[in-house]
Amino acid sequence: MRTFGPVASVATVALLAILGAGLSAQQPTPAPITKAPAATNPLQGDEAAIKYGMGLFRSRCADCHGVDARGVRSPDLTQVWASGRTDEGLFLTVKNGVPNTEMPANARMFDHEVWQVLAYLRTLAAPASTDPPRGNAENGQRLYRANCASCHRVNGVGGRLGPDLSRIGSARARDAMVRRIRGAVEDFRPGYEPVTLTQDNGQAIHGVKKNEDLFSVQIMDTRERIQGYEKDKMKEVANDTKSAMPPFGTDRLSASDLDDVVRYLQTLRGFDTAVK
Amino acid sequence: MKIRFVRIAVLTALGAVGTIALSAQQAPPPALVTNQELLAGLPADGSRWLTFGGDYFNQRYSPLTQITPENVNRLQPQWTFQTRTLGNFETTTLVRDNVLYVTGPQNLAWAIDARTGRQIWQYRRELPPNLTACCGLVNRGFGVLGDKLFMVTLDAHLLALDMKTGAVAWDATMEDYKIGYASTIAPLVVKDKVIVAVAGGEYGIRGFIDAYDAQSGKRAWRFYTIPGPGEPGHNTWAGDSWKIGGTGVWVTGAYDPEQNLVFYGTGNPGPDYHSESREGDNLYSCSVVALDVDTGKLRWHYQFTPHDVHDWDSTEVPVLADIPIGGQTRKVLMFANRNGFYYTLDRTTGRVITAKPFVQTTWAKEIGSDGRPMLLPGHTPDEKGEITCPDITGGTNFWPPSYDPRQRLFFVNAREACMTYYAWKPEYNPGDRFTGGAGQRARGPDMPVYGALRAIDPATGERKWEFKYLNPSPIGLLTTASNLIFSGDSEGNLLALDSRNGKLLWRYQMGSTMHGTSPITYMLDGRQQVLVPAGTTLTAWALPQ
Repeated sequence: MRTFGPVASVATVALLAILGAGLSAQQPTPAPITKAPAATNPLQGDEAAIKYGMGLFRSRCADCHGVDARGVRSPDLTQVWASGRTDEGLFLTVKNGVPNTEMPANARMFDHEVWQVLAYLRTLAAPASTDPPRGNAENGQRLYRANCASCHRVNGVGGRLGPDLSRIGSARARDAMVRRIRGAVEDFRPGYEPVTLTQDNGQAIHGVKKNEDLFSVQIMDTRERIQGYEKDKMKEVANDTKSAMPPFGTDRLSASDLDDVVRYLQTLRGFDTAVK
Repeated sequence: MKIRFVRIAVLTALGAVGTIALSAQQAPPPALVTNQELLAGLPADGSRWLTFGGDYFNQRYSPLTQITPENVNRLQPQWTFQTRTLGNFETTTLVRDNVLYVTGPQNLAWAIDARTGRQIWQYRRELPPNLTACCGLVNRGFGVLGDKLFMVTLDAHLLALDMKTGAVAWDATMEDYKIGYASTIAPLVVKDKVIVAVAGGEYGIRGFIDAYDAQSGKRAWRFYTIPGPGEPGHNTWAGDSWKIGGTGVWVTGAYDPEQNLVFYGTGNPGPDYHSESREGDNLYSCSVVALDVDTGKLRWHYQFTPHDVHDWDSTEVPVLADIPIGGQTRKVLMFANRNGFYYTLDRTTGRVITAKPFVQTTWAKEIGSDGRPMLLPGHTPDEKGEITCPDITGGTNFWPPSYDPRQRLFFVNAREACMTYYAWKPEYNPGDRFTGGAGQRARGPDMPVYGALRAIDPATGERKWEFKYLNPSPIGLLTTASNLIFSGDSEGNLLALDSRNGKLLWRYQMGSTMHGTSPITYMLDGRQQVLVPAGTTLTAWALPQ
């Protein structure tokens, strides 16, 4: 079989080419593919690919996903890696589309074009840092456990009030992590917007908002209780402007400790939940 | 052969006996759906809802009064029907003789027992696997005449289905779906014609409105929304841009029997944002066109947004009424436009009577006395991006408004949102998206994003009241003679309000946004029903027995 493999492939390709030529006038529908040519993007970080990818993204994707890829009529694409999608899975989604939705198949896109788009998207999700890696991950992990783990979860261990950080290393660039730890808040992530509910007896419940409509709000409070509340039974429901996460200034975290924490976070690439 | 004849004769005889035996117990079935029924709109007895807008004027105003502001909080669900498929309803249900006729996503359609929510028949059209159908695999509803239902398909066909079985009676091809044509509109049946149109404004189509003979399915006329060489308006398109200038039509028009005219809102010109290749006003994009029913000839047009560069299709629902303005009764056409302006037009001439912004609008100062918008500078998208309000989805969109003729109020679900618009030069490939740009959400303290149900006086364009939503609501409306208005929010709440003041009276969490759908109401065995499509469900509501 091994001997004949390549021959058979050549014959198959030739046959497909002939069939393709015959069918092209009828615009054949390429069958969905089930396997990407690579598990990880071979063009990730490639400057030329990122440039071409931007052009392709703008002309083919931005109308629905937004020029900033944060979603207009279709989902936010800057969070897909953070939410656990893989290069391979995203390649298949772009090529095959999502059946029975508005996301079309892009079967006629060349493989390298799909990788170019993903390489570009990756720069929006986690802009590449020009700084060389620095810091001590081992010390960073110790600092993380002491300062962060009560609210953040990594590989199934830790708090739940803040976002799970098990994949943060592939989702956020170093600069973005540094800014966030030092206290900069550009935007609250949906599901983590801080909220304060004031009850009729004046007692306040602090938490993060999981969902909301005109009549109710669903939150996780600071004790990690998930609970819904009817607004007309509350004195006030106020969106807080300050994050539930305290800023870690130089008084709380020295520059070198910060380097260590970030170095540790950069090692976090995902959590394998499979039972072994 | 002989044996078969005998058998048929016996069966026929049996059938005749059966009919006689039954007739003593039950009323004969109503005759075929007539043009008189369609012309009559929503009857006082609540026995039917036979056109997209309830009546030809698209008022979605029911004379039924059993459900009132006082008792609406006692509504109870009667049953729920589930499509058991992907995709959402975006339809207006028809009802006659206690049977509901409804189209769903993926070109599915059903006849459903209005008493129980049980399916009588289902129709499913096999869709081509490489369908591009822009902007949702949806359908906005049936038209009906005689014993036939009419529905368009995502691969740009028009079908006639047998009302009793769902079997296809005829199948007319409108255009080739492979080069970007699709259809989602609810057919409008007028006289002996079925009027439909094509979507695909983002795919370089040349839009049109068609009329087909209801009996035979043969095409009676076609009106291209982009004039061809030699026709008036052709010179409003530079070069060959008219061939791929978009201007689809995907929302049902209104009909004025007195003038023998149908009125349709038309889609945006393409490419949407990069417009250098299509210099000119780009007639009849972003317009309302008044067409003669018998010939499809243009009587008049009014262009809301000449040379649109923001994807502001004027495919909102035109609503007709006769109202006193300045001491005389005017025949008007009311139109809340995606571009942020509300218009009252004279529907005999197409001239503007009043035009006012009904949401935050930054691209035009006002509508001039010549009917053209007075543009403000800095609102042409380019590679760097420019911020304009409203956003791409617009001040409102295709979800139907409603008009209460007693209060003379026009109701619309309005959106407040702004956008950074970008443009770049596109390449045209048949069947591919052809927009030449995109947008991204503009955020800032002076650009709050929210929605509101607004009541507008059509004589002045002034707002009478509003009910604010947390987020923009993409839901069609229903008003009743008992001062109720049914709406919903984007978080899935079905809402009943007092149409006199916007006071919230009742709500129920449906579990899904009623995206692009509208509730309808009718009588069933003496009880008023409100039928609500939401997501993949239809739910009937009524007061307790």
